[in-house]
Amino acid sequence: MNTATPSVAQERRYNHQPPSLYVVNAFYDWLVEVSADLAQAVVRDAAAVDAARRHAIAQLLAVESRLLDQGAGAHAAYEHWLTLYAEECAYWIPADSPAPDPRQTISLEFHDRRRLLDRVVRLGTGLAFSQLPASRTARQWSGLEVWSSPGRTDEWRARYSFTLVESRAGHSRVLAGWNGFVLRQIGDRLRIVLKQINLIDNQNPQGNNSFFL
Amino acid sequence: MRTTNQRSTLPVPPVAPDPWDDLVQEDRVHRRVYTDENIFAREMNNVFAATWVYVAHESEIPEPNDFKLAWLGTRDVIVTRDEESVVRVFSNRCSHRGASVCREQRGNASQFTCPYHGWRFDNRGQLFGIPGKNAYGPTFKARDMHLSRPAQVASYRGFVFATLNPDAPPLVKHLGNAARYMDAWIDYNGGAENLVLAGTQLFRLACNWKLIWDNAGDGYHVPFSHQSLLVMTHARYGGGDMTYFAEADRSKMSNSALDNGHTAIDQRAEMHAESAWQQQRPQPGREPYQDYVAATYGEQAKRVLDTTVGAGMNINIFPNLALIGNQVQVLQPTAVGETVMHWYATRRKDVDAQVNTMRLRTQEDFPVMGEMDDAANFEECQRGLFNHPEDEWVDMSRHYETGKDVAAEDGIIRGLVTTDLHMRNYYAQWKRLMQANPTLCLARGKL
Repeated sequence: MNTATPSVAQERRYNHQPPSLYVVNAFYDWLVEVSADLAQAVVRDAAAVDAARRHAIAQLLAVESRLLDQGAGAHAAYEHWLTLYAEECAYWIPADSPAPDPRQTISLEFHDRRRLLDRVVRLGTGLAFSQLPASRTARQWSGLEVWSSPGRTDEWRARYSFTLVESRAGHSRVLAGWNGFVLRQIGDRLRIVLKQINLIDNQNPQGNNSFFL
Repeated sequence: MRTTNQRSTLPVPPVAPDPWDDLVQEDRVHRRVYTDENIFAREMNNVFAATWVYVAHESEIPEPNDFKLAWLGTRDVIVTRDEESVVRVFSNRCSHRGASVCREQRGNASQFTCPYHGWRFDNRGQLFGIPGKNAYGPTFKARDMHLSRPAQVASYRGFVFATLNPDAPPLVKHLGNAARYMDAWIDYNGGAENLVLAGTQLFRLACNWKLIWDNAGDGYHVPFSHQSLLVMTHARYGGGDMTYFAEADRSKMSNSALDNGHTAIDQRAEMHAESAWQQQRPQPGREPYQDYVAATYGEQAKRVLDTTVGAGMNINIFPNLALIGNQVQVLQPTAVGETVMHWYATRRKDVDAQVNTMRLRTQEDFPVMGEMDDAANFEECQRGLFNHPEDEWVDMSRHYETGKDVAAEDGIIRGLVTTDLHMRNYYAQWKRLMQANPTLCLARGKL
């Protein structure tokens, strides 16, 4: 007989793995606060985060974006990409600017880790016709700013502006905007807790964005 | 000022000789219907002006002086709630030189000032201010210069429709037996007084609007177009959403031909057979939500969970309104080969915040994981139809010769879910409209 104390997640049998236990009201409250902070029109103290930390964050975000560019050619890139994210993470594309509360209004996309896994597996079936042929992408970003999450020493917030050129089936288009991130030191790794993609045209009709932005 | 409405009648060029019987046959349609710019131009009059077109939901303009931009086909309109809370619809086209007088998607305003020469209109579309008015003479002053209004505007349980055709039958008659399906959908969502649109996802598709409409009643494509979703759902969760479409014609789902080109797919017998909630692919926060509902609603928990997810009906109100799951989809044709699709999410006033949040997380599932596969196929259809002029026909003969489309006890013709009855039914209405020479009127007198 197993006498160890099982965690709550092990105790119950969930039909859908991994269970999404963290997307609760407190998480949404936090998202709304973070979202407002990321979008603030303020001058931040560039020296408040030390150079080594800033470098580590820039490096992580470069890998994040490069792996997504590689996903069209090598599906494994998406699996590596997901390892950059915390177990309890969110990938969020608001349908307006500034981002409305996702409890009140629809987003273009709002995914927890489980739905990101769904999407990676779906793209890997070879039957996702919106990605046959796959979108090849080239992302350029610049203007990275990094600052500490208020009251925390293990968490940082960051944003940069991007353009993303997509080529699919002989047609190219440009997507643009800014991404906001929350990054957290978890054990010995820095991981992404939130990626918020703010498209400049998020109120206007979108094309086939069935790859990851 | 004149006190009676002066109506100007728009010329609708007759098309002769009548090509419509050749273009739209019982079981197939000519490709030109999807690719011909002249046919599109005529559709903007004969379909998107001469019959009732959905323009807005009353919950989008809840307060006096609220407004939103909308359209009848390619015609731009402003929908307002005036100071007396009456819903008004008028053209977003200045009566002076044609510029739009409102350039914001939505807001609250008691008046609109044209940015070009500063002409001012109230939120019923009536002109009340012209800068330098003394420069205009009696001939001008005898003309009605208010913003033009559709001949008829009416609302059915919160859904606002308009038409430029003064001879169009009353809206309830136009909806006919589709109204009972709308009622079922609205009541499933808490009733008209509780349904609120909660934001929109917009997509631009490089295809004719009818390729999207063809699909709106297509119960045949699911296991093929959405194979990736079915394979993924099976691999990750051992089955779930939409698996009952695998052998769709053996299912209890049905496809109904309703009055005036409207149609409905009823999935309820399968989707709601045991639990719609259990069928649903997992949403963010699913497990804590389930616990919350169980703890809060007791014996009602199953019902609350089931009403969080789709209504199990696809109701298509020809030509541009589709009620799908818990969402409201609206088509905006912008050119013969381009359409903007609006997916409105819905909330309910009579449920708590957690339920509404989970409705949104549910509604965000399909657009990125399913709709884009549909869109890719529609765009490929458009390319195929445009690029192969010698291949003339688009087929809609599924279950045309099997004798499976039969009149039920309620008089409605129903077929198996994969029938092309939906296309055959709406195309019959489309042909009637395209053959007609309707009167299109703009009212621009003082209200």
